[in-house]
Amino acid sequence: MTSIIELLLFPSGLFVLALGLAYEWVDRKLLAQMQNRIGPRWFQPFADLIKLLAKEEIVPEGVNRVLFLGLPVVALAGALTAALYVPLLGLAPAYSFPGDLIVTVYLLSLLTLCMGLAGANTLDRFSLIGATRTLTQLFSYEAPFMLALLAPALVAGTWQISGIVAHADGQWMLLTQPLGFIVAIIGLMGKLEMPPFDAPEAETEIVAGALTEYSGRGYALFRLGKNVELVVGLTLVAAFYLGGVLNPIDFVLKTGGLLLVMVGVHAVMTRMRIEQTVGLWWRYGALLVLVQILIQLVWKVAAA
Amino acid sequence: MTQPIEKIETPKGERFIIPIGPQHPALKEPGHFEFTVDGETVKDATVRLGYVHRGIEKATESRNYIQNLYLLERICGICSHTHAMTYSLGVEKLAGVEAPPRAQAIRVIVAELERIHSHMLWLGVAAHEAGFDTLFMYSWRDRETVMDLLELLSGNRVNYSANVLGGVKFDITPEQAGDVLKGLDFLEGRNRHYLDVVSNDALLLGRIRGVGVMTQADAERLGAIGPTARASGVALDVRIDAPYIAYKDFQPALITETAGDLEARFKVRVREIEESIRLIRLLLEHLPEGELVARMPRRIPAGEAISRVEAPRGEAFYFIKSNGTDTPARVKVRTPTIFNMATVLSLAKGLQLADMPMILVGIDPCFSCNDRMVTVREAERAETWTWNELREHGIKVYQR
Repeated sequence: MTSIIELLLFPSGLFVLALGLAYEWVDRKLLAQMQNRIGPRWFQPFADLIKLLAKEEIVPEGVNRVLFLGLPVVALAGALTAALYVPLLGLAPAYSFPGDLIVTVYLLSLLTLCMGLAGANTLDRFSLIGATRTLTQLFSYEAPFMLALLAPALVAGTWQISGIVAHADGQWMLLTQPLGFIVAIIGLMGKLEMPPFDAPEAETEIVAGALTEYSGRGYALFRLGKNVELVVGLTLVAAFYLGGVLNPIDFVLKTGGLLLVMVGVHAVMTRMRIEQTVGLWWRYGALLVLVQILIQLVWKVAAA
Repeated sequence: MTQPIEKIETPKGERFIIPIGPQHPALKEPGHFEFTVDGETVKDATVRLGYVHRGIEKATESRNYIQNLYLLERICGICSHTHAMTYSLGVEKLAGVEAPPRAQAIRVIVAELERIHSHMLWLGVAAHEAGFDTLFMYSWRDRETVMDLLELLSGNRVNYSANVLGGVKFDITPEQAGDVLKGLDFLEGRNRHYLDVVSNDALLLGRIRGVGVMTQADAERLGAIGPTARASGVALDVRIDAPYIAYKDFQPALITETAGDLEARFKVRVREIEESIRLIRLLLEHLPEGELVARMPRRIPAGEAISRVEAPRGEAFYFIKSNGTDTPARVKVRTPTIFNMATVLSLAKGLQLADMPMILVGIDPCFSCNDRMVTVREAERAETWTWNELREHGIKVYQR
């Protein structure tokens, strides 16, 4: 019984979906304010969701039907499962086992993989280019982002999220590992395809990228998946680098602050070309986080 | 269950073509571009225009000279004043009438305000194509100031309807001049900020510096005009080369850049806004006194006239032929976009697909203005069908 509630209502399921929509609204509203616009009303993401769900879903010719309809579901399921392993609202994760950090990061990548596959599945030319870019971007930010999350794990000496959070409690690793924090937050932006890393869905070039052919339910599910990913990603970074999340207020303040930083970066930046994105990650992102981990290891050995 | 998958056939073998337009988020007007890409690199580019051919030139032949003024003002939604002014200048030349000095000055003031609003609009559009939406929102917000000034003077925001044959319709009172100067002060400050942004913003420069470089020789060979040519160092500006109306007494400075890349095109336009502001201030200070309208005959003497005006996008050209009645025998309109289109196709090759929207917008295209006639594409595949064959083909296609 408890596990059913955990899966469908809290912390995964409906709760995290609602939280995702709320964070989407905050994101959109903040960006609008920074861009001198008014921005949407608080229920707009929810209204968009209802509208998309109510719309007819068109399956284009020449696609694998099962994949086309199945991929959005898998993507959302992956993101929702990831939500089970993170300390949402500052509460203990619903499930926890040694090494669940790796599983969570993998589950978050599942969404991007599904989007890439969904784009490659259709015959649409914008989707194909978008899928190529999505996957290229995945390969560029994934390793640095993963390493940035592993750095706190190294300090804590465990790859279990609850363990790291317990270790990080009250300890702002942002101060001891600034490089890792920068890579983590920019990696999260890359993961969410937020500008300046929105080349995979650059509307002025390739319409909506990999999801161009999606309408109705499939599109709604992908969007929901992304919202959940936003919440999970923010929770992870806040818990690891901002001294853990202790209670709901702490959680909202820290993730909200992170989101504010991300939206601020979004607002002042121009979209990067895909080869600029890849260059940035492999030239600077990976290098920064490797330096960080090296310092960490040397420190640990020296201290021991 | 599903239809059998049809093999995608590209017209010539193994090419992967990205279509942009006629309906595409990058273009708010219909034009069709096909970019042949290899991965992300563009190998070839073709264009098809003519989606918004409106038959305006023909329509002028069934309206009298005064009615045509209103028709031609609607050729372009951005440089509406340019078209009405170029037409008026041509007709005035045919009739041997010159607009009074005050009218000439007011025409120039409106034309320069229009240039400011057009360039600010362009700045926003170009920023949006680059994915820099904040600059887009800000420049369009500030553009409202100049729109308000135009509304203050003329009562309209888009088609100001400033011109009548032989002069202008409205005067500029000292109070209005004061308001315009106040608005210009604000715009000047903002414009300085935008010049700073397009010269110093690292990420934006990553997208525009050294991208789409057009040398001066190329610009001349391809027949580029307007700010696009001036960004490549071509000294070409009708206001200076063949001064008309008040430009004879109030010379604008020639704004050129030498780099020829997208950055230079940004800079040329932003600096032109600065120059326009200077010119309007000068004109408002030295506004000549006198009449607003010179008397025009209803029937225009037979003859031919050419008038040229520097529109925000380059040279606008009108040829007007009169047969001595109150209706023109022929009005030929040539807008600047068509001349810069060749530079897009030439620059596209070898660049990234991500640069295409910016290269396209870099010339500040105005599709509905330049659409004059429809060309048949790929004529080697053309065949003539009778009406019945076409009908049968249609039934066959839509039967399933």
